[in-house]
Amino acid sequence: MSDPIRGQTAICGLGITEMGKVYGHDASWFAGESIKLAIEDAGLQKDDIDGLLVNPGITGAFGTGISIPLQGYLGLRNLRLLNHMNSFGATASAMVQYAAFAVHHGMANYVACIFSDAPLQQGGSAGAAYGGAGRRGPSGMASLMPAFGFYGANTSYALAARRYMERYGVTNNDLGRVSVTQRRYAVDNPHATMRQPLTLEDYHNSRWIVEPFHLLDCCLVSNGAVCTIVTTAERARDLKSSPAYVWGMGQGHPGNFPHAEVEVGTTSGATIAGETAYRMAGVGPEDVDICEFYDCYTYTVLRTIEDYGLAKPGEAIGLYPEDPADPEAELPTINTGGGQLSSYYMWGMTPISEGVIQARGSGGERQIEKNDIVLCSGNGGTLDTHGTLILSPNAN
Amino acid sequence: MAYEKPLPNPDENTQPFFDGLKEHRLLLQYFPSADHYQYPYSDRCYKDWSTDWEWRESAGNGEVYTWVRMHQLYHPSWKAEIPYTLAVVQLDEGPRMHTNLVNVPVEDVHVGLRVKVVFDDVTDEFTLPKFEPV
Repeated sequence: MSDPIRGQTAICGLGITEMGKVYGHDASWFAGESIKLAIEDAGLQKDDIDGLLVNPGITGAFGTGISIPLQGYLGLRNLRLLNHMNSFGATASAMVQYAAFAVHHGMANYVACIFSDAPLQQGGSAGAAYGGAGRRGPSGMASLMPAFGFYGANTSYALAARRYMERYGVTNNDLGRVSVTQRRYAVDNPHATMRQPLTLEDYHNSRWIVEPFHLLDCCLVSNGAVCTIVTTAERARDLKSSPAYVWGMGQGHPGNFPHAEVEVGTTSGATIAGETAYRMAGVGPEDVDICEFYDCYTYTVLRTIEDYGLAKPGEAIGLYPEDPADPEAELPTINTGGGQLSSYYMWGMTPISEGVIQARGSGGERQIEKNDIVLCSGNGGTLDTHGTLILSPNAN
Repeated sequence: MAYEKPLPNPDENTQPFFDGLKEHRLLLQYFPSADHYQYPYSDRCYKDWSTDWEWRESAGNGEVYTWVRMHQLYHPSWKAEIPYTLAVVQLDEGPRMHTNLVNVPVEDVHVGLRVKVVFDDVTDEFTLPKFEPV
């Protein structure tokens, strides 16, 4: 039994800007480019847009990110829906979800959901852009973190990964298999920043960041923006590009309390979010054709696969070939554009954008033939927040 | 040689905790109504939302919940130590603490390793609670 909203809404427009080390523009500029591309993709006019949801990336924390003033910058008048949203990496799916409810109930017709970020500066490192810039020194007990030498998201995720790896006997070579697999997909993705093929040897030779993470376990940092336009299935049918129908939506936010009663590292919000989304879509893990999973780190992909019920705990790595660089190796249909590790890091819009491309069948060389059910995840904090979208090329 | 690593920056609410460290006592917040120890500091128990609490001394025993080796340099004062071992310790009272492991070779570190607190007087003013194997 599915929910009556299944297939009643769709993503009808997708705009992906140039990605990566693109300098000289701020996040508003990228947002403007992405919405231009998205309305052109949908065959819409500027004045058709009557809803705007925005999610700034890390520049939101520095005071230079997109927010409500983007409406004025874009000259969008008489909007019927407007909000600045943030549940970190889960935001992109949440924006599409709230947009879907709004168009389904007639609150708006065409809602633009935009993620935009521009943390990279010419001459500065990605680590400096994300790990340090704009941060004031903490006070109280939080000041113990730098006093002990804890810095950045890499460390929090490495701590989670270590616990997972020791519990299930997952090795660095296993994480490397995820990294190499995704790079093989990125080779065929014209939007991807990193398109040079990788071997497991390259993975092991990449420098340590925070052990157990090598550089090639960590996502990119990108300047760029992605815009998706959400409308009703009825309107989407007659537009220029094929719709990606929204079949299932869910969220799951376990929270993260440093206490014995809360497990960290071997669980995520995907369990709760996935259960809700599967129920709405009337499908189960066995029906999923393609996964586009939030992959801030290689480890996050394995954790997510398991929490969506696509493998038993500790067994997600079994879906990957021993040597994914081998041209004969059959790759799992997971992160088919290279993901955040190899294509571009637009928080939750990375998986959704590739999910739309796959659902439309417009993935070119990397297109997966069977694409009826495309499962997209968003994940934020250190596995604290989670959002799910199930997309399909079929209205029913 | 002067100690150059970042030092704690106590505020009004957490000053007693840092004073405790200086006396080589590890203090935790204890909320009687939920029989709950909490760390880091909050003015409210997240279990039953009570605001009545007291400082209680931890026995300082626990186990390694997870750990990493830091190779990336974020602050110049760590340069000589890289790579260094960071850990999250699960205290027997319930809360988990981010900390450093000391007096243990890295090949002996693993999830579940039993540890106890040791107090490192890094300056005249500040003491850090670190952990070593039992």
